[in-house]
Amino acid sequence: MKKNEEPTYQKAIEELESIVSEIERGDMDVDLLAEKVKRAAFLSQYCKKKLRKTGEELKVLLENIDRDETGDNPDPTFL
Amino acid sequence: MHPSECMTLFELTSQIREVIGMGFPSTIWVTAEIASIRTNQSGHCYLDLVEKNDDRVVAQAKAIIWVYHYRSLLQAFENATGETLKKDLKVLFQVEVSYHPVYGLSLNILDIDPTYSLGEMARKKRETLDRLVREGLIDLNKQLSLALVPQRVAIISSPQAAGYGDFITHLQNNPWGYQFSLHLFPALVQGEGAAISISQALRQVRRKYEFFDLAVIVRGGGSQVDLSCFDDYQIAREIACLPLPVITGIGHERDDSVADRVAHTRMKTPTAVAEFILSGIKSFEDRIRGSEKSLVTLSEHFLRDQQYELKMMTEDLHHGIQHLLLQYANRNDILEQKCHAMAQSIFHLQHHRFSTLFQKFTSITLQTLTREDGKLALLEQALKYLAPDKVMKRGYSITLSERKTITSVINIPPGTILTTRVTDGSIISHVEACHEEK
Repeated sequence: MKKNEEPTYQKAIEELESIVSEIERGDMDVDLLAEKVKRAAFLSQYCKKKLRKTGEELKVLLENIDRDETGDNPDPTFL
Repeated sequence: MHPSECMTLFELTSQIREVIGMGFPSTIWVTAEIASIRTNQSGHCYLDLVEKNDDRVVAQAKAIIWVYHYRSLLQAFENATGETLKKDLKVLFQVEVSYHPVYGLSLNILDIDPTYSLGEMARKKRETLDRLVREGLIDLNKQLSLALVPQRVAIISSPQAAGYGDFITHLQNNPWGYQFSLHLFPALVQGEGAAISISQALRQVRRKYEFFDLAVIVRGGGSQVDLSCFDDYQIAREIACLPLPVITGIGHERDDSVADRVAHTRMKTPTAVAEFILSGIKSFEDRIRGSEKSLVTLSEHFLRDQQYELKMMTEDLHHGIQHLLLQYANRNDILEQKCHAMAQSIFHLQHHRFSTLFQKFTSITLQTLTREDGKLALLEQALKYLAPDKVMKRGYSITLSERKTITSVINIPPGTILTTRVTDGSIISHVEACHEEK
């Protein structure tokens, strides 16, 4: 995952847990450790924050759904 | 035909009533399907009962449940079946055949055996389930994986349903402050048309599925009856084919409905559905916190180890350097001594060579000087002897013409004035003739 990309919960926790197990193995360079810990802190903060806010973007999308629904017809491709 | 031989209509209908009364002296248990049902203002219930053979009506009759029977019969039926009396339901009625000269033939319903309807409903449900199994739909939705954090929820419910309110409140007032994006796809969740309405709502969700993590179907808090719409094949099919996990919270107390069976996860109540979603998110956050904790512990250990190692290495280094310094100091002393001695010996050697050379040089110079002195004395003597006045005294003279010394007869024409120098002066003379000696 690129660092400036918005990670999904799945990707975030996978990366977080892989960092933990990497450090657990104990063969890490001390300079790299600092970097990894920083990244891990970012990921956990990011997830915890995301759990507590609803994306504005999604609200807009959901409003659009309502707009789309006027003139809703049953899907002819489905039985 | 003479009118006295005829019957009046009343006489006929009265006779029909008599015959029917005699033909059906007691009550009869009869199975029939409800084709329509309605109650009037006074609370009497009017029904059309039919029997079908391959969807073709082969018998039809009007029926009535008087208000004083209706309330208790309906209650008992609903309690036993979880279902209300409604269109398309097959029921076993205890009837009295009655005939009225004005209102015609009618079945007066006195009792209902709910076990028959239950059996019928179970059979129908089993058929639906068998069909879903045959079509490979029964476990389709269960194969979808639940989102790790289902924050975007499509809700299929009625905005009036108490269960909907419960669900929303429970989800939004969670103690952890998790936020959700909820969107309601309104549908009738009970009564006539509920099955079609829910199917339509599910289709709408399917068209927008990428905006959601999961879909929930909730109702409840209200009547515990009239849930047979959730046994509808079409709803089950829509649930099965939805590319989102479907969680049901329909509020059954009894066995699962068909919708529950095809859904990804079945919960008893809308509140339980909210709880299920919240617990998923909570366990995700617990995982994160767990990672955080191990990260802190591990980092502390790591740093402590590193510090210890560093300390050991520093000490080792310190010792090593001291040892080396001592070694070097010793070596330096030795080297210095060696250097000194070597320098001295080189100096001596060079000094010796120099003085030897100096001596050699001095003696050579002296010898050369002595030798050259002798040569000079000889030369001096020779020079004295060769001086012009000395030579002239010995009789030699110098003859000049126009200040040039004459050494040949050539180019000396007669008449040329010559000057001849001798020791004490000059003799001027004219040339008479020149004789060249051969």
